[in-house]
Amino acid sequence: MIQKTSLTATRRTVIKAAGAAAFVAAMPSVLRAQDGPIHLGALNPLTGAGGSYGPSMRKAIEHGVALINANGGLLGRQVELSGEDTQTNPDAAVRAARKLIDADKVVAVMGTWASSVTTAVAPVCWESKVFLTCVSGSDTITLLPHHGYLVRTQPNSTLQMEKLAEFLGKDLGAKRVFILGAQTPFAKPNEERLTADLPKYGSELVGALVYDKDKTSFRSEVDIALKAEPDMIYMNGYAPDVTVVIKDLFKSGYDKGRVAQAYAMNQKVLDNLPAEVANGIYTIAPSPAVGSSAYKDLSDFLGTADIDPYSCQTNDHIALVALAIEKAGEASGDAIRENIRAISQNAAGEKVENVVEGLKALRAGKEINYSGASGPCDFTDIGDILDTNFRYEIVEAGKFKTLRVG
Amino acid sequence: MFSELAQLVINGVVAGTILAVPAIGFTAIFGVLRFPNFTIASHATIGAFAGYVANVYFGWPAWAALLLAFAIPALSGVAVDEYLLKPLRKAGPLTAAIASVGLVIVLENVVRFFFGNDLRGYDLPLYRDWSFAGLRIGPQQVENMAVAVIAMVVLFVFLGFTRMGKAMRAVADNPMLASIKGINADSVGRLVNLVGMGLAGLGGMLIGLDTSIDPLTGFRAILPIFAAAVVGGLGSIPGAVVGALTVGIGEELSIMALGPEYRSVFGFFAILFVLLFRPRGILGERAY
Repeated sequence: MIQKTSLTATRRTVIKAAGAAAFVAAMPSVLRAQDGPIHLGALNPLTGAGGSYGPSMRKAIEHGVALINANGGLLGRQVELSGEDTQTNPDAAVRAARKLIDADKVVAVMGTWASSVTTAVAPVCWESKVFLTCVSGSDTITLLPHHGYLVRTQPNSTLQMEKLAEFLGKDLGAKRVFILGAQTPFAKPNEERLTADLPKYGSELVGALVYDKDKTSFRSEVDIALKAEPDMIYMNGYAPDVTVVIKDLFKSGYDKGRVAQAYAMNQKVLDNLPAEVANGIYTIAPSPAVGSSAYKDLSDFLGTADIDPYSCQTNDHIALVALAIEKAGEASGDAIRENIRAISQNAAGEKVENVVEGLKALRAGKEINYSGASGPCDFTDIGDILDTNFRYEIVEAGKFKTLRVG
Repeated sequence: MFSELAQLVINGVVAGTILAVPAIGFTAIFGVLRFPNFTIASHATIGAFAGYVANVYFGWPAWAALLLAFAIPALSGVAVDEYLLKPLRKAGPLTAAIASVGLVIVLENVVRFFFGNDLRGYDLPLYRDWSFAGLRIGPQQVENMAVAVIAMVVLFVFLGFTRMGKAMRAVADNPMLASIKGINADSVGRLVNLVGMGLAGLGGMLIGLDTSIDPLTGFRAILPIFAAAVVGGLGSIPGAVVGALTVGIGEELSIMALGPEYRSVFGFFAILFVLLFRPRGILGERAY
């Protein structure tokens, strides 16, 4: 008798459990996760060529998450951040993205840096309907068929090269420009843009060369460049290889103009070069919104007055993603995709400069227009940033001196 | 045209001579222990950083820093082999080789843990190149080449004229016969790691002297090092020198034919070519 009762109960339990399991499986995954924390992913270059930026970019995201959680989370749920390292390597980044999406179930991946990495990670994201925010510049990225699951806060190559051509031709009066560029997705597009843009300012591109950035010496490449008799060499690579190019140019006796992107020629690179070698190098970079309250808040948190543009941008990524989720009332890649422009470029909305202000305004039923530490954060239909300032600097006595911002 | 070719050959000889130092280490370890120990890459990095600490923190001159760049990876190479790779060697050379690939990542991150990702440069003045007959060569390159040549000469004297050196060659040539003669294979194993990883460290610093260093310094060089050893004949020390010069000059000359973006292709191509047509390498497998 006892045995029979027990058996019946077991059967019922099994049927109930199976029924419940079938019901849960039939529910959309969004409903299933409704009670737990909201999972977001940070995918940054903690190691490799981007390693000098990644850790700070990650901290800027973590800072945003901490602020959000301290102010009631999103949709009444806490935010849980899962972080991975891209190693500034597309293969490693794709594995890391898969882990974030498949194991950690994130709805957004934030802060990929190198263009090659973003190009590799983007399809993984859009196929899983996960939103991707990046700081990569190559034109080709937003031309990918990403179905709206991608925005970038870094100006694209076209805009960067327009500004560079103007700076070289108009400000510096360079006549003969040569590009010594690392093998990257932006090497060829940059070359094409400069070929087209330099003549507008009475200058011309006299040659371009793409090198293998993992080599330890570029002496022969420098020889090829010098044959073209340039008066300005654009060193279009990343910090490790640009450092070697600078040294090899110096050794060759070249003493004319040199220009690089600020991410390749930063203070750390400068600290490791003798002053006479680095003096006179120009740099160009998208400039963060230095006067904004978001910049000040991040600067206090990171303990530096001079934040790199990428940390400002990833700080904005977490704010944009969080505000879009709160606005949508749903935590999914689709919800972020549908709402990101509604909170970042709604001209009628209340202007907010940090995520906490934004969340309060949204909860009070207001419309908002977010602009953050990196700038206005307004995007085109394909995800390019609309407007940003640029900062031009020169190395003098081992220090960067700002020439102009605009 | 001629001066262009001559310049590329000069650049190639300099690159090849520096490459030869870690390549000798790699091939010597293969000759004695019969597995490719890829931690040569990490030990090149460790050497570069040991030299950096000596030069920048302690203010040692470059020649003294080079000694530390030999000593630290030599010791860490022996320790890594003794405690991690030696127990795995019993399971076959493939197991040990795969474990060494894993260790590359571990050791690279140990360096990263202490020094971070940033680029670092030695505290040395940078000199303009010397020019003659339309060709140029750097004082640092000449110094690096001299160090590499001295290291090779010392090694050849050690192998040719000392008891331990001869024991090492004996084990490499015929381990069975060597053990019958009473040579202790374990001691020789430790010795070859000491010398091999020390040379890797020295090579790492030589690469860094002319460029800059970061935790990936050794890893970036592993393909040409491996190619040099294979081309010269895995296990053959003079072969590693010949292989390194072949790869060094070949990479430079490939710039004329293929363009700079395909420089690394030469390393792969050289390995492929040798494996297809002369699997034993240019000089074969004899250790010396």
